[in-house]
Amino acid sequence: MENNTTDQIYVEYDFTVTPQLPWNDVLMAQLGEVGFESFIETETGIKAYVLKTTDAATILDTVDIMNNDLCDIAFAKAEIPPTNWNAEWEKNFNPITVNNRCEVRAPFHQASGVEYDIVIEPKMSFGTGHHQTTHMMIEHLLNENVENLEVLDMGSGTGVLGILAQMRGAVKVDAIDIDTWCYENALENVKRNKTDKVAVILGGAEQLEGKSYDFIIANINRNILLQDIPVYAKSLKKGGTILFSGFYEEDLVHIKNKCMESGIVYDSHLKKDNWIAAKMIKS
Amino acid sequence: MAKEVSKVVKLQVKGGAANPSPPVGPALGAAGVNIMEFCKQFNARTQDKAGKVLPVAITVYKDKSFDFVIKTPPAAVQILEAIKLKGGSGEPNRKKVGTITWDQIRLIAEDKMPDLNAFTVESAMKMVAGTARSMGVNVKGGNAPA
Repeated sequence: MENNTTDQIYVEYDFTVTPQLPWNDVLMAQLGEVGFESFIETETGIKAYVLKTTDAATILDTVDIMNNDLCDIAFAKAEIPPTNWNAEWEKNFNPITVNNRCEVRAPFHQASGVEYDIVIEPKMSFGTGHHQTTHMMIEHLLNENVENLEVLDMGSGTGVLGILAQMRGAVKVDAIDIDTWCYENALENVKRNKTDKVAVILGGAEQLEGKSYDFIIANINRNILLQDIPVYAKSLKKGGTILFSGFYEEDLVHIKNKCMESGIVYDSHLKKDNWIAAKMIKS
Repeated sequence: MAKEVSKVVKLQVKGGAANPSPPVGPALGAAGVNIMEFCKQFNARTQDKAGKVLPVAITVYKDKSFDFVIKTPPAAVQILEAIKLKGGSGEPNRKKVGTITWDQIRLIAEDKMPDLNAFTVESAMKMVAGTARSMGVNVKGGNAPA
């Protein structure tokens, strides 16, 4: 299938550093400050990874250590084509059943005949039900009445929660994700499950401008949630429910406090291995 | 229950920013690990250190499960942070561009003790100070080790 993930091509810089101590660490620290994302130590130095869209060639000139006369640094670079690195796991995972009512499975599994049968081929996107947070969000959705509601699935990953929302009676679902792999993948999964009321959108919280929903789902992480809760609050209708997940129990208090500031009140939460899925209501 | 180790992967990833692209993807993917699971966990555990480069050692088991240990940033990184300097000195031996106190060195040494080959905080401090000097950073002021 045509893949549109060209904006997520990474470039690998293979640095030879002499001597390696302490310059490997200094180089990583300095590259980290100018947009390089991750590193791996090698026999001769480090490999550093940066998005192709970052202008690394120009940036390197500004990195102090590159002009340091106490160490010698040389590098080679290579583009890494978009690849589904998770393919090995994806070709052979087990289906997940939640409360005997909802099953998330791959196309290569037999349907088991449960009430909500969701087929997901994840392609390096999050949301297969294996993770505690997805599992609990599915549990929440099975307990909530979303019939005839307009739903937002923020950070939708594979689209699994949005797809379930339609199966549970939602009349309209916006599934938004900032990651291109997820966007492409959710489109495929929506088609595969014939849930045509789910609109998949590429982007972040800026996509919510001028929109309003009866029910919001957001399984992301603490920092993104804390940052975007005011935006969600604005887009949620009075009396509407919002489900949050993607953080640990110790972070629940921060999420609660931020919600309070935006007029959203804590209702209850589920907990699994220290992960939380909380339910809040806009007063 | 004892589990057989398939491999140990050592990477440096920014807190809160793990994603399945290289080097995380290729390092874990080939072993059959669910990369998405690792990213979700790593990011949730490092929300307080978002954007900081953190060393992480991931143990992958034969049954494709994994666990990982996140270490504190390397001494060199902490030294740069302590002196609030964007980079080291271009000419470390000639032009000292920053100064770090022995008290700051002690904090870094205490933090890095588990990763350094040092028996006492004092010897760890000397190692960290050596790193600082080699980066062109002056060490003075505060309580020096005996």
